[in-house]
Amino acid sequence: MIAPHQFHRDLETVLELDQESIKGNETLDELYWDSMALVMFIAMADEKYSVVISPSKLAEAKSVADLLALVNQSA
Amino acid sequence: MIKAFIKATDYFLPQRVMSNDELSALYPEWPPEKIMEKLGISKRHLASDDECSSDLAVGAAMKLFEKNICRPDEIDFILFCTQTPDFLLPTSACLIQHRLGIPASVGALDFNLGCSGYIYGLGLAKGLIETGQASNVLFLTGETYSKLLMPEDKGTRTLFGDAGTATLLTSSESDSDRIGPFVYGTDGKGGNHLIVSNGGARNPGLPRTSTGGLYMNGGEIFTFGVREVANAVETLMARTQTSRETIDLFIFHQANAYMLEFLRKKCRIPVHKFQICYADTGNTVSNTIPIALHHAITEGKIKSGNTVMLVGFGVGLSWGACLVRI
Repeated sequence: MIAPHQFHRDLETVLELDQESIKGNETLDELYWDSMALVMFIAMADEKYSVVISPSKLAEAKSVADLLALVNQSA
Repeated sequence: MIKAFIKATDYFLPQRVMSNDELSALYPEWPPEKIMEKLGISKRHLASDDECSSDLAVGAAMKLFEKNICRPDEIDFILFCTQTPDFLLPTSACLIQHRLGIPASVGALDFNLGCSGYIYGLGLAKGLIETGQASNVLFLTGETYSKLLMPEDKGTRTLFGDAGTATLLTSSESDSDRIGPFVYGTDGKGGNHLIVSNGGARNPGLPRTSTGGLYMNGGEIFTFGVREVANAVETLMARTQTSRETIDLFIFHQANAYMLEFLRKKCRIPVHKFQICYADTGNTVSNTIPIALHHAITEGKIKSGNTVMLVGFGVGLSWGACLVRI
């Protein structure tokens, strides 16, 4: 299981956001989530967590919490 | 034994250029420096309204003739890889025969593949030459994806550029292969992840619209590329008993910086053995590998006797890899 705190820091790095800025209750619309961010997220999950994310499931994610759940389900 | 080899390469770009500044003016959320940093692309060349894929391929072939590498009357087969032919029919390669003044005794055909097309074309040319059906194959690629892109799709408009290339393959007496072996792969289940749904018989509408133009599911294409490229590289090295040490250069389809750097690390290829060639052209589909190969040869990165691994992957879904001895 990936801990929420670690996941939020990793997500901040991928999205080039300020550290400690993600609290966990954000929607993806609030985080400039776009096609490039989606690909970078898949790459980060592979590199950092050795997890292959299903792109079709990722397309259904609406929030940071959904992303974390998806990573942990895929592990 | 008769063996096929690559005698020469060249390429041709349309004059019109779209810079990152122009794109950022259209899509302010992607500043020019972000495009450069993530995708590694500074500009892409775009065909004009009256410029087609055959024009780009002919431009590249003319360079081979003008440099006296060969004469039109020496060509006995034309292969043309394109997904944006001038017409639904006739075959673009037939029109190219006439425009280049190649004798009517030539064989000519188009084949429809994208980013894996260069590998498949080398396979076809090798087969034609080594079975004695042809001696000098003019293998052309030409693509004008810009004519298929949806105006509001910043992702694809940032990535893709237009280009044409020419590769002359000829025969020589040799004991060992100079092209091959090959690894091929196909997965039509993923055909809908990179598709232009309009313009063919199934949906005969215009392609360059917000519903019928080029659609790319970036996540699916990325995931597919990572899975199959790593497999293809390992399979080909195992089959040929080669390694990262004995292969002098790896030339992958030049998709974009982000994907290539990820693939390079995934395949554990050292930076100095990994060709990078997209900054001034973008992703030009089947043209990227021959453009990158041309630069590697002309800039002295590889020389006679070197072994290069070529890997193409993309629309279809389709992939292929092969070894080439320069």
